[in-house]
Amino acid sequence: MKDTRRTRVVLGALLVAALVMITVDYRGGEHSPLRGLRGLGAAVFGPVERASASVVRPVGNTFDAVTDAPGERRRADRLERENQRLREQLRSNRLDQDRSAQLQRLLGTAGMGGYKIRAAQVISAGQGFEDTVTLDVGSRNGVKPDMTVMSGEGLVGRVTRVGPATATVLLASDQTSSVGARLEDSKEIGIVQGRGRRGLGNGGTPLRFQLLDAAAPMRVGQRVVTLGSQAERPYVPGVPIGVVERIDDAGSGLTRTAYVRPFVRFTSLDVVAVVVAPPKTDPRDAVLPPSPKPTPTPTPSAGPSGSPSPGAKSGKSPKARPSRTKSPSSTPNPGD
Amino acid sequence: MLNPPEASQTGRTVTAAVVIVVTLVLQVSVANRLPLPGGVQPDLVLLAVVALALVSGSMTGMVAGFLAGLAADIIPPADHTLGRYALVYCLIGYLCGIASAEMDRQSVVPFFAVAAGALAGTVLYAATGMILGDPRAEWSTVSRMVPLQVVYDVIASPFIVWAVLRVTRRYERGERSRGDRFSVPAARYRAMSGRGGGL
Repeated sequence: MKDTRRTRVVLGALLVAALVMITVDYRGGEHSPLRGLRGLGAAVFGPVERASASVVRPVGNTFDAVTDAPGERRRADRLERENQRLREQLRSNRLDQDRSAQLQRLLGTAGMGGYKIRAAQVISAGQGFEDTVTLDVGSRNGVKPDMTVMSGEGLVGRVTRVGPATATVLLASDQTSSVGARLEDSKEIGIVQGRGRRGLGNGGTPLRFQLLDAAAPMRVGQRVVTLGSQAERPYVPGVPIGVVERIDDAGSGLTRTAYVRPFVRFTSLDVVAVVVAPPKTDPRDAVLPPSPKPTPTPTPSAGPSGSPSPGAKSGKSPKARPSRTKSPSSTPNPGD
Repeated sequence: MLNPPEASQTGRTVTAAVVIVVTLVLQVSVANRLPLPGGVQPDLVLLAVVALALVSGSMTGMVAGFLAGLAADIIPPADHTLGRYALVYCLIGYLCGIASAEMDRQSVVPFFAVAAGALAGTVLYAATGMILGDPRAEWSTVSRMVPLQVVYDVIASPFIVWAVLRVTRRYERGERSRGDRFSVPAARYRAMSGRGGGL
């Protein structure tokens, strides 16, 4: 510690460097001159993350197998090793089955809406306060910024940044995310905003839905789908978001607020899809899963046809607004 | 006598770099995906920086902190203003390095120092977010998340500190034994390496 003076000089230099970076990046915003640095990060760490994800996955799955193996290791070493290998095989088989089921569901959902997708896998997640994940697809796979990301269940988020082999996704539950949304069976539109921490914090409902028309009817249990943005970027229309769980009637402001439970579990994202081409026509409610009421609804015809089929007709709302009003495709676009 | 210190310096740098890269990758691809209650994850990189600073002093601590922070700012899923982690980790590395000067490595004091460093780092990062007006770092979120994150950091800290001490100590011991082989009697060498082996 005799070198305190030099240490202080270096400390000062480093702090100034950090502050300069913060300032430049903050003022630059989207077109920050330090974008190149982030690109470098994606290029360097992307492959590392992919590799580590492929290592971590089997390790995590065989961890149990290792810990609950019987104690007589010396005697049954060879046997155990063989056992282990077999178990690993079994596990990876089961994992593959699970993944193929997820993919199947994903393809079903995408087919129903007429989306063109590219399947991807989540390989890492963000740190600190941000709700972001990395996917193992990138510009080499035709992924571009501002593309919708969905899973078999519903909306996941949008692509914000793309590296050569990785893409960063801003989850819909992030506090800076806002998505233009529409109530099922009606034209009522609003904005879905995230509340942070993958839905685990802030009382458990990770999304907040602001209905732009305060007088419009809304009830608990109604489902919410994306409205679709201008030119289908960043959000394509008709992707299921979630179910209205709680309506805040306290405020008498210009909008009404409801809390939405998403279809997607943001904590356990694995197989997702990037929508590389939007549907030719708005699928409306066709992609929504069948209503929880066990009414035998005919499955909507696959593919977007001219007349949207009633995807979810529930007996709960006999006096709801006359649904099936064909909305003009030039609906305003509240989200970004 | 010029060669050994130089080798030690490079060795230490390489060790620190490896520790940081491994922790960073573990952080994003394992720790951040754990569905822990409260939606908060321990900050392994911060813990590694604190541990490195405690082991090798303020100079290494702050340079390692700055570089680790910069890497954490640009590693793919990161989506905050560039330089925030660099600033925070650099400061924390410096402070912990200064604190390490009056610290006995063989006792439990390092573990408390790590907890203090984790608290300071988390608060400082939240503060930079607030200063920049980051909508994610508004008061309601921060007040809920920071205590929980410190708790998780403290829970995770023994493992990280142990691993970092282990890695750096092993290197140091190898260095020392190589140097001692020629000059020091065998008994002393054995005693030293024996002391170095236990945590």
